[in-house]
Amino acid sequence: MNTQLQRELSLSRRHFLRGLGACIALPAFESLRPVRMLAASAAAGSGLAVTKTGAPLRAAFLCFPNGAIPSAWWPKEDGKQFEFSRTLKPLEPLREHLQVLGGLDQKFAYPGPDGAGDHARGNGVFLTGVRLKKSATDIRAGISIDQVMARHIGHLTRFPSLELSSDAVRTAGACDSGYACAYQFNLSWSSATTPVAAESNPRAVFERLFGAGAPGERATNMKRRQQEQRSVLDFVLEDARGMNRRLNGRDREKLDQYLTGVREIETSIQKAERFGTVKDPGVETPSGIPQERAQYVQLMFDMLTLAFQTDCTRVATLLLGHDGDNRSLPEIGVPEGHHDLSHHFNNQEKIQKLTDIDLWYVTQFAKLVKKLNDTKDVDGESLLHNSMIVYGSGNADGNRHTHSNLPLILAGAGGGTLTPGRYVQHGAKPMTNLFLSMAERMGIQKLDSFGDSTGRLGDV
Amino acid sequence: MAIPPSTLRPGPRPTLPAPWLWLLCLALPACAAASDSAAMATFRQQIQPLLKEYCYDCHADGANKGGVAFDELKTDAAVLENHDLWWKALKNLRAGIMPPDKKPQPSATQKLLIEQWIKSSAFAADPQNPDPGRVTVRRLNRTEYRNTVRDLMGVEFDTEKEFPPDDSGHGFDNIGDVLTLPPMLLEKYLAAARTIVSMAVPARAKAPEEFVLNGRSFRGDEPSPNATNRGPMNATTQALSYYDAASVTNRHRAAHPGRYQLLLDVTANERFVDNQFDYNKCRLTFRVDGREVHQHEYTREGGKAFHFDIDQQWQAGEHELVWVMEPLTPQQKRVRSLSIRLDSVTVRGPLEPKYWVRPKNFARFFQQDAPRGAAARRRYAKEILEPFVWRAYRRDVEPKTIDRLVALAETTYRQSGKTFEEGIGQAMVAVLASPRFLFREESAVADINASRHVGSARPPAASSSYALVDEYALATRLSYFYWSSTPDDALLRLARDGRLREQYTEQARRLLRDRRSEALVRNFVGQWLQTRDTETVTIDARQVLNREAASDPDGEKRRQRFRALRDKPEESLTPEEKKELEEIRSTFFRRFGRPLRAELTGDLRRALRQETEKSFDYVVREDRSLLELINGDYTFLNERLARHYGLTNLNVTGEELRLVRVPPESGRGGVLTQGSVLAVTSNPTRTSPVKRGLFILDNILGTPPAPPPPDIPPLEDAAKDIKDRPVSLRETLALHREKPLCSSCHNRMDPLGLAFENFNAMGMWRDKERNQEIDATGRLLSGESFSRIQELKQILAQNHAVEFYRTITEKLLTYALGRGLEYYDVLTVDAIVEELKRSDGRASVLLTGIINSAPFQKTRLAEMPQNAESPRNVKTAQAAALAQ
Repeated sequence: MNTQLQRELSLSRRHFLRGLGACIALPAFESLRPVRMLAASAAAGSGLAVTKTGAPLRAAFLCFPNGAIPSAWWPKEDGKQFEFSRTLKPLEPLREHLQVLGGLDQKFAYPGPDGAGDHARGNGVFLTGVRLKKSATDIRAGISIDQVMARHIGHLTRFPSLELSSDAVRTAGACDSGYACAYQFNLSWSSATTPVAAESNPRAVFERLFGAGAPGERATNMKRRQQEQRSVLDFVLEDARGMNRRLNGRDREKLDQYLTGVREIETSIQKAERFGTVKDPGVETPSGIPQERAQYVQLMFDMLTLAFQTDCTRVATLLLGHDGDNRSLPEIGVPEGHHDLSHHFNNQEKIQKLTDIDLWYVTQFAKLVKKLNDTKDVDGESLLHNSMIVYGSGNADGNRHTHSNLPLILAGAGGGTLTPGRYVQHGAKPMTNLFLSMAERMGIQKLDSFGDSTGRLGDV
Repeated sequence: MAIPPSTLRPGPRPTLPAPWLWLLCLALPACAAASDSAAMATFRQQIQPLLKEYCYDCHADGANKGGVAFDELKTDAAVLENHDLWWKALKNLRAGIMPPDKKPQPSATQKLLIEQWIKSSAFAADPQNPDPGRVTVRRLNRTEYRNTVRDLMGVEFDTEKEFPPDDSGHGFDNIGDVLTLPPMLLEKYLAAARTIVSMAVPARAKAPEEFVLNGRSFRGDEPSPNATNRGPMNATTQALSYYDAASVTNRHRAAHPGRYQLLLDVTANERFVDNQFDYNKCRLTFRVDGREVHQHEYTREGGKAFHFDIDQQWQAGEHELVWVMEPLTPQQKRVRSLSIRLDSVTVRGPLEPKYWVRPKNFARFFQQDAPRGAAARRRYAKEILEPFVWRAYRRDVEPKTIDRLVALAETTYRQSGKTFEEGIGQAMVAVLASPRFLFREESAVADINASRHVGSARPPAASSSYALVDEYALATRLSYFYWSSTPDDALLRLARDGRLREQYTEQARRLLRDRRSEALVRNFVGQWLQTRDTETVTIDARQVLNREAASDPDGEKRRQRFRALRDKPEESLTPEEKKELEEIRSTFFRRFGRPLRAELTGDLRRALRQETEKSFDYVVREDRSLLELINGDYTFLNERLARHYGLTNLNVTGEELRLVRVPPESGRGGVLTQGSVLAVTSNPTRTSPVKRGLFILDNILGTPPAPPPPDIPPLEDAAKDIKDRPVSLRETLALHREKPLCSSCHNRMDPLGLAFENFNAMGMWRDKERNQEIDATGRLLSGESFSRIQELKQILAQNHAVEFYRTITEKLLTYALGRGLEYYDVLTVDAIVEELKRSDGRASVLLTGIINSAPFQKTRLAEMPQNAESPRNVKTAQAAALAQ
């Protein structure tokens, strides 16, 4: 009798947090053991997704919608002594742990021959760097960088990657200018035609990571579930094979997605056996999506932190709001829709409100950065020290739909391989160059090009 | 032989004598399919001269506006096979977008000539045997999954909460090509299958009886005055406030003496208030027959659910169950409306096995206790699973699959501690996780003789590479069209016997009459008119209503001061500034503390959505003219809605929505002036005439404008006040039409949207905005002018009926087929539109037209594989032979 389903969703993040601070013993130790040995015997940085001290190295990509007002975002001068701008002020206490990146572009987000659709493109190219196929139904993007990483390092953790979203509601009807809705609502793509749907319900994320039920019961629940799953999977695979013989063309592609999913579940069952029982974090399961937006966003950040802290995964994406999002934020005095405002046509009042929204997003992000900084990792450094967190948007100037000099922050020290504490103007380089540099630090050796990259980004 | 265009002799002059032209028009469809050379001859003689006169200026001789150049088509093949180009041309020509306004226009007969040629020659469309196209195999979307599980298993599974949203294409979320299956979703399907089975399928043949007493059923002396119900209006629970003593009672009659278990479920709720905390506590006690059996103290728990199990020893007879609420902190500030929501009390028992009964839902799956003996059990398992998987896969299932299922069940029920029923449950989990359940697989009937059919279903032509979809596929298409759910037994049986097409019309009628067809209304209208968004669209009622209030420059100044003060860091404020801040804050809160007269609360939103759904439902069920959706003289109201619209003189009372005739002066009637449409086409703080105009172009007239050009140059801030008067939206938008870059599209959208300015962003009528009278006049690009909304609706319904018919046909056809429409669907759509014209737009004509159309009944054979396993289908080789 699953009474969870019958509960309506309203939530206290406080309640969840009450348990969180106290008793997370770092279980990362267990899954680190084989990797530790690897790191100890190999030269520094040659392992996959590890720092030179043997701690896990993580990457996360966070995307906020509709760009940011440039005059309020960019600090006046670059270098180490830069002054934090109005929008970036909340990050000032964490100056030493992040860098402001300027001059990174996504050229394929520009219209080119395709005409309108900057929101679909802004969102869809953010992690893929390719020209999207403009079609409402014939979807073609490219693999996203987080999935590339997951392919290489995913075997090290229970979950190859984690896709999160704090944008739960979809509107009816068509999406941006003839582009499929998939482009606008998904950051992660495991192949050119398969978007990886994000989880937007904190309860579902938690249960996926740690199992359902009360603290203490979860491991048993998970184990039993995996056993039952095996016999079911055998049966459905047989059905799928039969069906595969009967289908062809595009139908087969759809069934392929099903088969891929089954294969992944089988892999995770095998992994579960290899990794042993998941260590229960000992806190209550969140009951769902909070009403208040700030609470919701912070709760998803908590899930992200928890996932990294327990080494459930080392690569994650979080969609804070899909590009083109028209949500309002009455709680900070902005009742108008974000997207509507973003076309401000130089109206000062609108610009002011937009800056408030940008500030709100950065305030939320600052709390995540602080949380990661305050959490200790296995090697004594902070979680933030051993992470690379990208925070940015696929649109630069939302009013003009530009995609150059994108607002981007790179938080974390990458296990010591990054140089935070600066504002660096890279001068019109592809954003995908940054991804190459991050992949390199992840220990992925053979990745020399990705999307529209022209080489690794130096001076990071 | 290809003739280079430059050497073409100029064709006959475009102004042909009328009679000859008509003859040609009539003759064309019959013979044009005959040969390419005839088609090309017609092209060179009739069509190309017209193109030269009206199109070549921009689309030939070096110019290729919009990427279209007619003289680039150098070969016969290029001309005849460029479907995309001709389709675009056809749509633009019909919509009157091309040639552009202010350029010479072809006459009606000339337009018709071009249209006919395109359809018969360029598309090579044979009206007797149109290309049915092909739908990519569709997986069940969230709505369909939920409904299918409800009908198959008898339980409700909330897919909105459990599954990620489906991607949509062409405005609908049931498009095969667009629905993907990411690995995360597969995990969820597996988990869902388990959950559903555990909810639906009893794990043992007998269990203690359970009675659920829901929270609402406990009665008190008077309702708690401060109770707040958080979340959707729920008829089964009730909330008791932390702040007031209360006591609610229920009675339960126990049939037998014995050991019972009482399962108590409550939730501690609050209404979130930022930065203020509520420290109240309460004690909730549960009494049985006067004795306290349970109590618990609650602080603020923020939505946490609690479950308690109480053991009881009971005599037979009536027992009194009482909840007692006791506030514990009467002096504390009451900030967050803390309450305990009583969800349910479940009485389980007696627990002694001799009193056990069949669990609920047992009869749905099982007939008897499981027999003894392995062979007998296997037989019984097969008896249960065979019809189950037939229903779940929606077609005949080969014996070896059933055997595998039985084996799976057996593996489970042979484990120690597991029951036979649990084994069956496990097999059902596998079925619900199978792609044959999740996807709607179809195959084709290639043998013309194998399918007997009467009525309006077209027989497949011998020369086709198209075939009828098999009867099971047709049953599935029908049921998912009408019910968004799986076919019922009656439909499946007809399909199994190959008699569905025979009884097609009666079945379609039956499906429509069935209650489940409200899914068609809900899902189609929800997406076509976007009424699904009514429940979630952000509208700030305060801001919207403020625009109608007289402008308040003083209030504006104070608001600005408030913001300036609030932005400063708290520590830097002087004591005077602090006082000022407090004062402004309390004034605002006093003003805004009053409940708004028209806030878009949950039940109002629901009523708005239902108003539109019921209107469509009425037209369909009573087979009325679809034009009533534009300018009918009625709508559906309940008391709340009538008040919202200011129609209190119509004396509508109660919560039920009912048909109400509205006076013409109200401007209401038809879906365009219903609150749902008006709200989803607005911005959070004001109306958006552009969005409303776009809505009409998209969803009513079917002539959407091109997307906005990139790099829109910054408009000077157009909202500057003229003297002290804020500018009206109409004046602001007039700027759109001054710039040629913008006017081409905005001239079509803005007049339409501005006509609705009398309706604010919540759908309420208003005469003024910002102290200026609203001007609802306008002029359409097609020439008609109107001075108020009633006239616009009349114009749309009378002069643009055909466009409306075409649009709604295309939308509903897309929804029915699960694919976007292609050029070859033009024939199907046109045929239905002709019928609609003849019948004055009767809804039944639309529905019948769609389910009898070639795309709905057939599929392209060449890509259809043979289904060697199904007895109903003939091999493709035989079909190919037939096609010779």
